[in-house]
Amino acid sequence: MTTLATDPQAARSSRILTYLRPAEIYVVFLLLLIAIGPYIAPYSAYDFDPASSLLKPSWAHPFGTDEFGRDVFSRILAGARPTLLPAFASAVLGIIAGTTTGLICGLMGGRTDQWIMRGMDVLLSFPALILAMLVVTMLGGSTTILVFAIALIFWPRSARLIRSAALDIGKREFIEACRARGEGMGYILFREMLPNLRSVVIVDLALRCSYAILLSASLAYLGMGAQAPTPAWGLMVKEGQQFIQFAPWLTIFPCLTVALVATGTVLLGENVRRRFAISQRLAR
Amino acid sequence: MSGAENAVLRVNDLSITYGHGDHAVHAVRNVTLSIAPGEAYGLIGESGSGKSTVAFSIMGHVVGGRVSSGSIQLDRRELLTMSPREWQDVRGNRIAMVYQDPMNALNPAFRLGAQVAETLIRHRGMSREDAWAKAVDLFRQVRLPDPEQLVNRYPHQISGGQQQRVVIAMAIACEAQLLIMDEPTTGLDITTEAHILELIADLRQRLGIAILFISHNLRVVAQVCDRVGVLYAGQMVEEGPADAVLQKARHPYTMGLNGSLLPISGEVRRLKPIAGRLPDLRQVPQGCIFAPRCAYATDQCRTMDPQIQVVGKRHVSRCMFSELVPPADRFIEMGSRHAPGDSVAPQLSVVDLDYSYARRGMPLPFLARKARAKALDRVTLAIRPGETLGIVGESGSGKSTLARCIAGLRSPDRGAVRLEGRRLEPLAGQRSREARQRVQIVFQNPDSSLNPLRTVGDIVGRPLGLYNVVPEEERRKRTIELLEMVNLEERYMTRYPRELSGGEKQRVNIARALGADPEIIICDEPTSALDISVQASVLNTLIDLRTQKDMAYVFITHDLGVVRYIADRVAVMYGGSVVETGRTDQVFSSPGHPYTEMLLNAIPDGTRGRKALLEVEDSRPKPIQGVGCVFADRCLQYRGRECDEVLPPVRLGQDGHMVNCHRALASA
Amino acid sequence: MSLWTLILQRILLMIATLFCVAVLTFLIVNVLPGDVAVAILGDQSTPDQVEALRQSMGLDQPILLRFGDWFGGVMRGDFGTSLTFGRPVGPMIWGRLLNSATLGVICLLVMIPVSILLGAVAAVTQGSVLDRAITAITTFLFGMPEYVLALGAMLIFAIWLQWLPGAAMVSPGENLFTQLDVIVLPVLVISLGGATYIIQMTRASMIDALGTAYVRTALLKGVPRWQVILKHALPNAMLPTLVEIGLSFGALLGGLVIIETIFNFAGVGQLMVMSVQSRDVPVLQACVLVIAAAYSVGSLLADIASMLLNPRLRT
Repeated sequence: MTTLATDPQAARSSRILTYLRPAEIYVVFLLLLIAIGPYIAPYSAYDFDPASSLLKPSWAHPFGTDEFGRDVFSRILAGARPTLLPAFASAVLGIIAGTTTGLICGLMGGRTDQWIMRGMDVLLSFPALILAMLVVTMLGGSTTILVFAIALIFWPRSARLIRSAALDIGKREFIEACRARGEGMGYILFREMLPNLRSVVIVDLALRCSYAILLSASLAYLGMGAQAPTPAWGLMVKEGQQFIQFAPWLTIFPCLTVALVATGTVLLGENVRRRFAISQRLAR
Repeated sequence: MSGAENAVLRVNDLSITYGHGDHAVHAVRNVTLSIAPGEAYGLIGESGSGKSTVAFSIMGHVVGGRVSSGSIQLDRRELLTMSPREWQDVRGNRIAMVYQDPMNALNPAFRLGAQVAETLIRHRGMSREDAWAKAVDLFRQVRLPDPEQLVNRYPHQISGGQQQRVVIAMAIACEAQLLIMDEPTTGLDITTEAHILELIADLRQRLGIAILFISHNLRVVAQVCDRVGVLYAGQMVEEGPADAVLQKARHPYTMGLNGSLLPISGEVRRLKPIAGRLPDLRQVPQGCIFAPRCAYATDQCRTMDPQIQVVGKRHVSRCMFSELVPPADRFIEMGSRHAPGDSVAPQLSVVDLDYSYARRGMPLPFLARKARAKALDRVTLAIRPGETLGIVGESGSGKSTLARCIAGLRSPDRGAVRLEGRRLEPLAGQRSREARQRVQIVFQNPDSSLNPLRTVGDIVGRPLGLYNVVPEEERRKRTIELLEMVNLEERYMTRYPRELSGGEKQRVNIARALGADPEIIICDEPTSALDISVQASVLNTLIDLRTQKDMAYVFITHDLGVVRYIADRVAVMYGGSVVETGRTDQVFSSPGHPYTEMLLNAIPDGTRGRKALLEVEDSRPKPIQGVGCVFADRCLQYRGRECDEVLPPVRLGQDGHMVNCHRALASA
Repeated sequence: MSLWTLILQRILLMIATLFCVAVLTFLIVNVLPGDVAVAILGDQSTPDQVEALRQSMGLDQPILLRFGDWFGGVMRGDFGTSLTFGRPVGPMIWGRLLNSATLGVICLLVMIPVSILLGAVAAVTQGSVLDRAITAITTFLFGMPEYVLALGAMLIFAIWLQWLPGAAMVSPGENLFTQLDVIVLPVLVISLGGATYIIQMTRASMIDALGTAYVRTALLKGVPRWQVILKHALPNAMLPTLVEIGLSFGALLGGLVIIETIFNFAGVGQLMVMSVQSRDVPVLQACVLVIAAAYSVGSLLADIASMLLNPRLRT
């Protein structure tokens, strides 16, 4: 089922590169937003200003103001960090755990593999959001816990992907040739297998980042993770929703931001997946 | 080229291109051919010759490419300008096709009968009942066992040979005027191939159908066809009566193909392969397309397009020279080999090896455990120093598992591999460095046996470092020497596997094995993925190395011609057991086991009208491993209960000839 | 191995997995650092309050004993007593489960046929404007959190156009079919979210199927293209798609939690969010188990369906 492109030539094709460009620009834009967002915001994201409470969008406040008179635009800019950083962190953490597990399973095979994968199946039997809610509720709502909860969700999914890719490569005759030569486990793993798995890991990372943004935005909306007054986007939607009747901008603009960023990263992930020709079915 | 007046099929000046602009691949260029009613026309070509593209274009199915010029006429009616609706009436009805890979050509979700009936319902307007009844009849015609039952089965429930019979039944259902067969026996075992070829000959005789037969195998084509055309790089280079083209070839390419063919009788002579590789069809070079690889090429050949020349009765060749004398050195005598005698102690031996595939997955309660099928059953073999032992067998015979057990990649259930009498640990990782270094392995698949991310220099140099064969500062020099030994130049050092052709990849594989300075190399079908002209040159390299370095080979193959060419002794495997071992000439001239006889009979010998192959008429139960003879159900010398219930005894002949059979040896 | 053995094996595996799910749920709640009592009372609780709660909940008992008690109860349908409402959790859940199940099944009935149709159309017209449009829209929708879709739909249809009610105030166990208008928006939003995945998967499987040799055989038999697509390609493409639909239940259930909350729909998902906010641990545990079980049963059914459809498992 796995189709892994290990042919670097295909990846280097210039036509595909031009196709990728908008997505790469997009990543730079996101990173910029995280880095300088708070500094270019016209107003403070936290200070109350009762005089300008619930103002409609105008030139002074392009996205309007909330019930405490805080500028929504500034809050969205300041919210890039608390929204995106935990998402990226959890994706990276999940991938590290998943890749390690997947490699161990793919390489060891046999009983070890069977038992670990059954354990992963148990984790997979929880719908993603449900497991995250359970963990965050029971362990406390800090951002660190949120990161671990999302990483926990990605762990089995990542492990399954890397395992099947590792099994696929492990079956190839150049690995058998290593075994017949009597190469050490470390050499086979790091010099022969990992370089060939690089593309799968990159694709996995790109896709997990987009899912992490989606998941953390959903959790924030349910009141988990970042707490008020942090301007996390999901949390802003939740807080603004009570005014949806007469101040819809409090809902619309954070919603639009989440949607743009999330669909953008999903598109990016899809592009990377296509670029490395990894099966759509595997990469979920 | 030339053609009969009343041809069924007339392909004129056909050119097919894939892609656009600079990337356009001119896969087929100005191909002309015609097939008379009832004639069998063979189209020969190696991979990349465009033969399948021609076949599918006649069915109106060129995916991703386009016909850039030419015409295809069936019964004087132009096919290329037809509407999709008109095509529907031609396909399956007036032209039908048999495919290379029958397993995939059949829909897994449909009963076999339904797949045949569909054609009849569509083109003959039959009712469902009539069509199914006719399907049973067709199954009988293609000699499928128990047709009434078989129509209700699914493709995965029958064997590959039976699947191909179903595809043939489907193709002859509507009594098409033309049957296109695209490598119909490639991928099938040799005994199955023989039966399918016989069926095709039989159907031709009874139905008088015209056939376009496409194959890379010259002997198969010669056996089936009246006339043949030879395609090279999308161009027809020679065409004529089958016997004339295959025995008195006039084009250097056809001569080269013939020279690469492994003889199955007569003296073993050195092969003369074709040098070089297929040109890039994106920029078709000027002049003769074969000139860069041709031993006779002159400057004129490289600048001027050669015209078609008539070289015999209905025999034409696309070569400037109408008369080419094959160079005297075409057959060089093989260096005389003195295989070590019986008295020499074996260097490597395999004793009583058993291997079964472990049941995968976790055992769950209440579920019956599957019986484990043995891939190797009490295999005992010995290789003497400097000797080449060929191991022949069909798919499922356990030959590759045996190679992996010797190399320490599989751990046998029982038995041992011994090196100079010392028992080796089952897995390579547990063996001593010295033992691993002395036994190397070369794999079958050139695409997966090299790490795509490392350079040729890295790959070949690795064993030097691992086994510390030469000091570090000499490694590069030694790597270059190794490449030269397998006829690759220094410039290959920095190349990646994707930049190499299949034959070059196998050379790199051999160089890597040589790097360890081994005494024994296990070759697991090293040439089965290669075209025959490339196979010949790789085999020659292996033979030269063996003489130079005094190495022993365990050479595993399904091809009897290859084994006869390279091996000193042969072991024949069937169903996980070695059924016969002996000197190569002995086994080929006086086979002792009925299975060996069957294999030798099954090789297409390139002549038509040969004697009918015997088939087992009654269906016998599959033998149980370890109880009777593994071959009992297919054996023509079947003796009843004795074969089913008693393990066959070992019969000893001269010079270590050994046969496991209830029948006594003729010579003993 | 016969078909029935495989199905039996699959069912046994599901039961084993569900038991492990129960154990893991219990472990997360009871063993991981972070005291249940503290989690319930919040960070501002005094040690005395915590100690009192621990005793009343039996938290001072040995862990295995507690698990035995709890799991035995679950097997009898007794999920304990809600801390907020002081009522048994079981009956609270069953009524809501019925609501959620009805909503979920309606969504599946809307979503699956439409998605398969769109996915198949996209695959058949691969590379065309229609295909690109379907692919682009599904990828875009796939990246939308459910609540963005839900709030958008609510804003447009309930607040600005005022065509449909923005909240579905149904009580647990009430017959949904008497007031279909309240579930139109939830069904629309959930189906939009879930369909994207099924469309993409159907498209991929269908493209695979269209490229197979047996589809080529059928075409070269003279069978018309539309018949080849419907008879030869589609049934084979459904196999992998079914498995994917089973796997997508997880996302569907997650979406249900959010949608129920937004539209105030009395289902298990809403109950779960409420239990999270009120730190009602017995209810939370029960909700997690019920949802995980629903997920397992859903993918089990999809797997069994694909096994039954798989010709390779027929004898």
